[in-house]
Amino acid sequence: MDAIAGRDMLTSVADDLRIAGMTRPAPVAFTFDGVELRAPEGESLAAALIASGIRRLGEGLDPARPRAALCMMGVCQQCLVRVDGRLAQSCLVPVRAGMLVAPA
Amino acid sequence: MSAPFDVAVIGAGVMGCSTALHLARAGMKTVLLDRGAICREASGVNAGTLTMQMTRAALVPYALRAHEMWMRMAEWCDGGHVQAVDCPGLSVAFTEHEIAMLEERAHFRRQAGAPIEIVSTARAREIEPGLSDKALLAGHCPIDGFTSAYLTGRAFRPALLNAGVELREDTAVRGIQPGFSIDTEAGELRATRVVLAGGVWLQDMAAWLGITLPIKVLINQLVVTERLPPVMRTVLGVASGLLSLKQYANGTVLIGGGWQGIGDRERGGLAVKPDSFLGNVRLAAHTIPALRDARVVRSWLGLEAETADALPAIGPIPGVPDAWIIGSVHSGYTSGPYMGKLLAQAICGQAPELPLFPIDRLLAKDQAA
Amino acid sequence: MIDIAVLGAGPAGMAAATQAAQRGASVVLFDESPAPGGQVYRAAPAGYAMPRDADRAEGDALRAALAASNAVVRTGHRVWGVGGGPLVPLGEAAAPFRLDALAPDGSNTITEARALVLATGTHERIIPFPGWTLPGVLGLAAATILLKANGVLPGRRVVVAGAGPLLYAVAAKLAKAGATVAAVVDLAATSEWIAALPALMARPDLLARGAAWRASLTLKGVPVLAAHRIVAAEGVGVLQRVRVAPLAGGDYRVFDCDALTIGHGLVPATEATRAFRAAHRYVAESGGWVPVLDEDRRTSIPLLYACGDGSGVRGAAAAPASGRVAALAALRDLGLIDAASHATSRASPAADFARASRAGGAMARMMALRPALVAAIPPETIICRCEGVTRAQIEAAVEDGATAMNQVKQFTRCGMGPCQGRLCGEAAAELVAARVGGREKAGFATGRVPLRPVAMDALLGDFDYADIPVPRPAPI
Repeated sequence: MDAIAGRDMLTSVADDLRIAGMTRPAPVAFTFDGVELRAPEGESLAAALIASGIRRLGEGLDPARPRAALCMMGVCQQCLVRVDGRLAQSCLVPVRAGMLVAPA
Repeated sequence: MSAPFDVAVIGAGVMGCSTALHLARAGMKTVLLDRGAICREASGVNAGTLTMQMTRAALVPYALRAHEMWMRMAEWCDGGHVQAVDCPGLSVAFTEHEIAMLEERAHFRRQAGAPIEIVSTARAREIEPGLSDKALLAGHCPIDGFTSAYLTGRAFRPALLNAGVELREDTAVRGIQPGFSIDTEAGELRATRVVLAGGVWLQDMAAWLGITLPIKVLINQLVVTERLPPVMRTVLGVASGLLSLKQYANGTVLIGGGWQGIGDRERGGLAVKPDSFLGNVRLAAHTIPALRDARVVRSWLGLEAETADALPAIGPIPGVPDAWIIGSVHSGYTSGPYMGKLLAQAICGQAPELPLFPIDRLLAKDQAA
Repeated sequence: MIDIAVLGAGPAGMAAATQAAQRGASVVLFDESPAPGGQVYRAAPAGYAMPRDADRAEGDALRAALAASNAVVRTGHRVWGVGGGPLVPLGEAAAPFRLDALAPDGSNTITEARALVLATGTHERIIPFPGWTLPGVLGLAAATILLKANGVLPGRRVVVAGAGPLLYAVAAKLAKAGATVAAVVDLAATSEWIAALPALMARPDLLARGAAWRASLTLKGVPVLAAHRIVAAEGVGVLQRVRVAPLAGGDYRVFDCDALTIGHGLVPATEATRAFRAAHRYVAESGGWVPVLDEDRRTSIPLLYACGDGSGVRGAAAAPASGRVAALAALRDLGLIDAASHATSRASPAADFARASRAGGAMARMMALRPALVAAIPPETIICRCEGVTRAQIEAAVEDGATAMNQVKQFTRCGMGPCQGRLCGEAAAELVAARVGGREKAGFATGRVPLRPVAMDALLGDFDYADIPVPRPAPI
């Protein structure tokens, strides 16, 4: 998968991109495109994916592929994914335990 | 002042563009005026539906010929086209009442020449696999299709210029004096003939010539989704005519059908009504259930003109020699290019292939010829 | 029906709602984020303990005041529909304003209000360049959200580029958090920063903070390139490097990186004022098209007000004061406070706004659109990424007679996609403006609902076919 290729490139450097030394809720498990990931509950899903090294969020149907978070504030619509089957902007969705995330 | 034009066409929508193009090609020195940009009103924002099943029965012969023109537009419009798609159309009934409406309407349209057959739900779902299983019966017409209406102005423009039409956009006409002297924001110009082709503004234009022609304004709402995987492959409507649905090659689904928004000829299409917005998308999703998964991205409004009897106003203006009118064609975009061609034939002194729709019937007795 | 609805819970909206509620009005405040705060004062998610900073303290103070007021706060609500007010049939009196919003549970809520205060903030301007659609390229404001609200780095090795104070804030924050800042690429020349200094003297705290950011970068040996731009972002599948060149032209340098955070300023979000057909004017140094306002932040539409950066970029520090001025005007116009009380009450926030605007205005000027950057876009670069429209296609449409944004949109589909023109609008309009003689002539796309893409599923709810109010059919 392209998305996972993106992950490999970043995670070869370190485990994740979360800044150390902050108090966060306990990590919960969720899946993206079938791969299990962990993130603090309540972290924005887009941030959680970036932190896990996943920047290609899917191929999408728009001409400028692939999908990738750009604005992080709900405007650009580039980070659209499916959460539990429904279309959602990953930057506006907080991570919850067990959520099934798939490229849209 | 320079030599007068043979004809001034006022209003650069699809009717005005087609009329001007055909007149210029017949050798007339033609000026085409619009207060805004070419095909920026109804002609550029309508649903682009080329269906027979929403066309008034009396207009079916015209719409059939126009369908052919749209499909072959590049051939007669110097390569300009509107990405016309030829596909079957279905008109669906969900209730017993709608079945009766469907059968009655199909009958009249069939008599007028539209090859509509009534088909079972099973057959309809073979034609349109995306159709809801809640449909009870459907009218199927193999002649249907749609265009990308927003390309209409761009499609006409080069051909108009090639034909020698003088296109003056952003040039509002303020009045017409006999003769004709046309008073515009950019000065006066003279023309031997005038054609009023101003959509919902025809009422004001007719008044320039002393004619009282009441024109009702419809504020038609359109809604579009973002790109989707293929969910449908026909033009879909419902028996009442209040839905038109199609999916473009880019994946977007356009939802129309003539639900009414807020607006008027002075202010244009102002706002959709939330209840109409919701009703329209519910009807769409009821018909193509896969739409439930879509996101709505945009909505807009287009102004459609309607005469008292909802039939077109196309022909000479009584009592004003060399003045003509074209517009108020129900589903006017569908028939538009053909109507312009017909009027051009009449203006050039030929017998039009099909009858025009003279406006005497719409005028008070003292104004009719 | 409530007295005042406030759209947007950033600093302006929070202050407006608080002010109005404190004076006895019934107030509902909407925002699509999970918590009030907006972008600059964005709240960290529940359970996070983030390092305190000046922004966090400001935001917490505004949040606390809001929570102590009687304002009803509807966060997680996506307002997709605006109506009422002047949007009524001809001849009818203005209606109450109506907001349609999707609630967090997916249901549609309808709110009617006598007055509406818009505090819709801004979105980031990113002038396209080859490769800007690569994953790994993200906004400068996006980077601050990642860093401050989530504690996540955009990458390990980051190039920070664009214009305005965010540039140094993000770079310093990244460096402090352990990322390598490969370079800071500033559009502004050093002379522009020096020219802005007198205005910034009004805010010594900001000045000191800015100096500290710069010093920390120097200390770490981060290259800071003034009057430079990103020429291209490159990589196979994801971002791997950027090319950087002087604005004036000349040789480019290559910086390897796994993230590029880039922003060319902020654009006021005027979708709602456009939908209401309020009067607008183009003010480049305020971020672009802004509603025409009187000194009390009344738009040209009765009982419709605009405040905060969404009505002209002046920065977060000026936003609360502008929100208070707008709220007081709404209270006065609704007859909830008398003229004397209004005059007394508005003096202090009006003065605060004027003071804060000085520094904010200087920064806004720094972030104003730079036509040279648009002029440098190569022809085949995608401007509208939703629809894949290139610069060459936009210019061809202008050649084919499209002289205004609405028609360019029709001829090319630029701006028809899900971002509704927010991403491409600035560059596209500038390309058109260069050919038709200015942004005023190029105009803007008509404002329409939905203000954001809205999920059909949520909108539809459960319904019976019989309940759809299908209008009467046309005659056969």
